[in-house]
Amino acid sequence: MTIHQEKNGNALTVALEGRLDTMTAPELEETLKEALTGVEALTFDFEKLDYISSAGLRVLLAAQKTMNRQGTMKVTHVNEIISEIFDVTGFSDILTIE
Amino acid sequence: MTVKIPLYGRIDSNNAAELERSIFSQLEGKHAASVILDAEQLRYISSAGLRVLLRVKKTHPDLTITGVSSDVYEILDMTGFTEMMNVEKAYRVVSIEGCEEIGRGANGTIYRIDKDNVVKVYKNADALADIQHEREVAKLALILGIPTAISYDVVKVGNSYGSVFELLNARSFSKILKSDPAKFDWCVSEFVQMLKRIHRTLVPKGKLPDMKEKALDWAMFLKGHLPEQAWNKLYALIDAVPTDDHMIHGDYHTKNLELQNDEVLIIDMDTLSVGHPIFELGSIYNSFVGFSEVDHEVILRFQGFDFETGKRFWRHSLAAYLGTNNELKLREVEDKARIIGYVRLIRRAIRRNGLENEMDRREIEHWTAELLTLLDTVDSLLFSGNEIEVEAIDENLPKVQAFIARHLAENGCPMKARMQIEVAAEEIFVNIAHYAYTPLSGSATVRVEFFENPMSVSITFMDHGIPYDPLAHREPDVALSAAEREIGGLGIFMTKKIMDDVAYEYRNGQNILTLKKNL
Repeated sequence: MTIHQEKNGNALTVALEGRLDTMTAPELEETLKEALTGVEALTFDFEKLDYISSAGLRVLLAAQKTMNRQGTMKVTHVNEIISEIFDVTGFSDILTIE
Repeated sequence: MTVKIPLYGRIDSNNAAELERSIFSQLEGKHAASVILDAEQLRYISSAGLRVLLRVKKTHPDLTITGVSSDVYEILDMTGFTEMMNVEKAYRVVSIEGCEEIGRGANGTIYRIDKDNVVKVYKNADALADIQHEREVAKLALILGIPTAISYDVVKVGNSYGSVFELLNARSFSKILKSDPAKFDWCVSEFVQMLKRIHRTLVPKGKLPDMKEKALDWAMFLKGHLPEQAWNKLYALIDAVPTDDHMIHGDYHTKNLELQNDEVLIIDMDTLSVGHPIFELGSIYNSFVGFSEVDHEVILRFQGFDFETGKRFWRHSLAAYLGTNNELKLREVEDKARIIGYVRLIRRAIRRNGLENEMDRREIEHWTAELLTLLDTVDSLLFSGNEIEVEAIDENLPKVQAFIARHLAENGCPMKARMQIEVAAEEIFVNIAHYAYTPLSGSATVRVEFFENPMSVSITFMDHGIPYDPLAHREPDVALSAAEREIGGLGIFMTKKIMDDVAYEYRNGQNILTLKKNL
């Protein structure tokens, strides 16, 4: 998985490419720990994300909890398969998906 | 030089001196001779008699006592004589006249001698070493978890030797197939389960012969029989098969599989080896198809069922073994198995002077033609089974995912289902990696199987870790908001949602979790 970050003032876009799974989720978790400081608008761009497992969902949930305290978070360009995963897990209701 | 001297009746203080004189007169001038005292007619020996044996041993160290009855053996054993000289027990004599033949293998034929016992009569007249070998490998197999029978006695059958096994109320699978065609599918399933169990078994190095070496020997035998180019390719194909320390039976067919009460046993263990499963598939192909390709009566005589049944049994077993009904895939593996099979058949027929006999000649011609055709198109004897065994650690997740993905792709599984299966498989595998063996480590086996009606796939995860049912966990409340949500249990919940069925059982010391997805 590759993580692309783009910071614009208080806004941060994190574009993920590849697979967000047990092997790669810790890397994203680590990245976000530092990157979210002072961020008020977080956007995940999933256009190039092929796959997400519960390990990835956990990181998203943790990010959502952080952003609930300091701003907003949304997930964009979710493909059909990941979208279904969000649906069955109730994540569609927790996350803001565009 | 060997001098053989018979001993008779009772030897005690009354006749010991006389016996001693007689023995030494026969040994006069033969100081270097090996001496065999034939005790077949000996009923009793007292300490006076034992002293005679000691004096013979002193002048003629190479002393053997043969045909020792159990009474006399007990005396020799108690007094430590069995440690001092070679003592061979008399073999019980068993007749097989009128006994039912229940099995037949490469080295011998198995007969039922009474309700509870069977005897395997060896073809080789000097079979004691073979019997010893089979007893040792059967013990090894049993210790490694393969259900088999171990012989408890060696007997004399005519001029041959036999080993006796306890086999109560057992019926061979050949017999079941013949008398109860409705059990066909059940037989296939049990046959394949046992085969997989054998092939999963890792054998300590050096304990069993390597089948690849044998196969290379068979190929060597065909040098000169095949055109040079074809032979070169054949040898290279076999040589390219990697060595493998997993067990193979070597003569696996339905006459060697027995149903005893409710337990399935594999017998006839003398060909037990290690090696790549393609060598086993080659020999199975021969048993059910190859042997009888020209003369369809062969299988009827040998197995008791007809050629069509044999062929169907092979095909269904191969499909179950590979976990697929994909005709192309089955054909591909079958072709590889046939190469090994034909090499063995041709060698065997030629060695039996088959070139002198019309029927054998026709068979050799047929098998050779088939082999040459296959050698034109087959470029590797390797195939992938539908099981993978890895150490249960996160780092092996990509390996497991790639294995599953390849099988799904090969069987034309739609993209969406593939992704869902991957997600579910990750949850289960990672669960095993994190919890099954903590704090130690262990292995996990993953099996992929396809089914028809309805088209579906199952992924089975097996581990020997602590008994643990992940499905027994309380489901997370997915209606809660992010702040209230707990993380635990999410993976399993998701897995249940995106699969059509998730089942857990603990059996034979294994956690077995099966995912099912309709395609």
